[in-house]
Amino acid sequence: MQLSNGCAIISGGILFIRATLYHLFNSERLVLYLPKYSFRGGIHPMHHEHEGKLPSRNVPIRDFVSDTVCIPMGMHLGAPSKPCVQKGDHVKIGQVIGEPVGGLGLPVHSSVSGEVVAIEERISTGAAPALCVTIHNDFQDEWVEGIKGYGNVETVDPSVIIPAIKNAGICGMGGASFPTHVKLSIPEGKTCDTIILNGAECETFLTADFRLMVEYPGKVVDGLRAIMRALNVKRGVIAIEDNKPEAVEAIRKAASGREGVEVAVMRTKYPQGGEKQLIRAITGRKVPSGKLPIEVSTIVTNVATAAAIADAVIDGRPLIDRITTITGCVNKPSNLRLRIGTIIADAIGECGGFSEEPGKIVMGGGMTGFAAPNMEISVAKASGGIVVYNEKKARSVEESPCIRCARCVEACPIGLDPYRLKHYCDKGDLESAKAHNVMDCILCGCCSYNCPSRRWLTASFKITKEAIALEARRKKS
Amino acid sequence: MKLYLSTAPHIRSEQNTQSLMRDVIIALLPTTAAGIFFFGLSAAMVIALSVVSCVLFEYLWQRITKQPIRISDLSAAVTGLILGLNLPSTAPWWMPVIGALFAIVVTKQLFGGIGDNFLNPALVARAVLLASWPARMTGATAYAIPTMWSGADAVTSATPLAGYEASTMDLFLGNIPGTIGEVCKAAILLGLVYMLVRKVITWRIPVVFLAVFAVLSLLVGENPVVELLSGGVLFGAVFMATDYTTSPMTPNGQYLYAALCGVLVCVIRNFGAYPEGVTYAILIGNIVTPLLDKYSRPKLYGKPKKEKKEAKANG
Repeated sequence: MQLSNGCAIISGGILFIRATLYHLFNSERLVLYLPKYSFRGGIHPMHHEHEGKLPSRNVPIRDFVSDTVCIPMGMHLGAPSKPCVQKGDHVKIGQVIGEPVGGLGLPVHSSVSGEVVAIEERISTGAAPALCVTIHNDFQDEWVEGIKGYGNVETVDPSVIIPAIKNAGICGMGGASFPTHVKLSIPEGKTCDTIILNGAECETFLTADFRLMVEYPGKVVDGLRAIMRALNVKRGVIAIEDNKPEAVEAIRKAASGREGVEVAVMRTKYPQGGEKQLIRAITGRKVPSGKLPIEVSTIVTNVATAAAIADAVIDGRPLIDRITTITGCVNKPSNLRLRIGTIIADAIGECGGFSEEPGKIVMGGGMTGFAAPNMEISVAKASGGIVVYNEKKARSVEESPCIRCARCVEACPIGLDPYRLKHYCDKGDLESAKAHNVMDCILCGCCSYNCPSRRWLTASFKITKEAIALEARRKKS
Repeated sequence: MKLYLSTAPHIRSEQNTQSLMRDVIIALLPTTAAGIFFFGLSAAMVIALSVVSCVLFEYLWQRITKQPIRISDLSAAVTGLILGLNLPSTAPWWMPVIGALFAIVVTKQLFGGIGDNFLNPALVARAVLLASWPARMTGATAYAIPTMWSGADAVTSATPLAGYEASTMDLFLGNIPGTIGEVCKAAILLGLVYMLVRKVITWRIPVVFLAVFAVLSLLVGENPVVELLSGGVLFGAVFMATDYTTSPMTPNGQYLYAALCGVLVCVIRNFGAYPEGVTYAILIGNIVTPLLDKYSRPKLYGKPKKEKKEAKANG
């Protein structure tokens, strides 16, 4: 207890010295010798291959519009939206084609102009088939009438910001796809004093957030200011890993002179961009087990989400495209600005097709992405990357017995004992698994990555977490 | 086109069981070479017999019980190598074979194979041999005085712990009687550095083990440097106490385990009936390991304070 207080004071002191030195001398080199913002545990995946980011790192963002988009209605967490167009209808860019359903609902907008050719159930993003609206693009790029901006983020009426975010259909674009307007609604009795923008991009292969920060730093900062003004928060921090110096520089330039905006340089380590890890590293606070970040007066959101918020507030532009990294075994690894609903086969085609026989296509990074069942699935609001693995890398590895090497315990950023937890999870002993805090697992994948016996630790925790959640729902109803 | 499906993560580290075991073997090579250099061909014979019979017993057992054959993970080879290095060079041919039988079949496979044995196989084998043939293992005629290839292994002696006089330099370089692997401390340290650099083990167990042992030796009035360089404490702390399967998995558990081993070695050496106590000290540490794992769980991120108090109240 006292020891941990002491540690907190010391680490807080170090952070304070860092900040002071930076402000006094404006020199990154001086600060280099002091510990950087970081957290306990974690791993360095693909460290010797620059986290797999080299092929697409220096490729500027370019636009790609395909001739057909297939827009899933369930791209956000919460109930899927209800389609409000008919087959054969002509739709324009930005037109609402799906209406929000329920408390976590979000509208879905058409990302192209053209004719609705199908409304059908198909495998889109998740495991289960979901309703999708397929639109044939007429390349007229007609925008729907009535789209207009609210004005500059520094002068706009703060009360219009959160409705604007909801109307633009924005959800967390880092992967969790939680509706942003709900995240920004502070519950009764809670306060918020810090907004953290996650630009760590600690995932392997992905460079979309990096390119966004380098090419559009102003949008990111505008989005942060919009959130800060909407919630009347005085401190906003943009967290970037130290393997992205260009992004740090660009954001710093864009943020200079903006009220309350700071840039925090984080150590390159996975999962540095995890919500709990970021909060711990930047504010020194710990989100209590089983609670949300607002419990410690903090909200974390992704840089891509912030940029979408800036568009929504300044131009009134709904979320119709996103920047996605397409890399791995493709001929031209790229960062593309894709319309929401682009079929991944088209996106891969734009990147020159496969350079090797593909074995696995993963939506997202190597640590947390999910494997695509076919080439027909769509790019959703939270799809930050499409990574193609060759046959050799894709082949799943056979589990061998645990040798108790403790690499999983060393790697866990949450402080679980994964080897013991897996034992309970495999037995189906939900009570013991709960007692060993399986619900605190953030499914970062560090334990599985590190395991020399190639055991599927994270997979069994995911299954167990879902089983426990299902059981809880069943008890409730 | 066939696409593989799996849950995340889709990338895995390059280290696997086989590569870890290969690194342990590489770390043991300097020690093996030094042992052969000091004790001659008979040492090479003992080591070779031990390795071959360990791998053979594992293969036969898995074949007979219709389990998947796992000798390619090299863990049996590591056990064999460590067992061989734990024997005196004068050991007759059947000793490594019986040792291998106990290590692989009784200690490892009967308890469930790799990862499930609760005692270090090589140490159990050594303990069994020690109890069964004490004269051949530690008696006055057991240890050859290093001959540097100059003659036969005719001259035998007690170890420094049992009264052999040697300079500190000889203790460090290994120009002393002892088991094949324990004599050359320089080679063991080289192996330790290799394992640390390759991240096969962490510093916790060997450093805490040796530090606690040295401090206690000083307290009971011995010269800690001589104590550290005598007998098998360095070999045990670096290669045997660090065995994954039989040492705790949490950092706090590892500190406690290593400290316990250090204390026990010192107690057995100074107050016990045996001149050397590393074998039994580590075996006792192995037995305590599940208990340490249970009570030294890592601290959960954001663990509520209330729960902590409740846990205290409930005992």
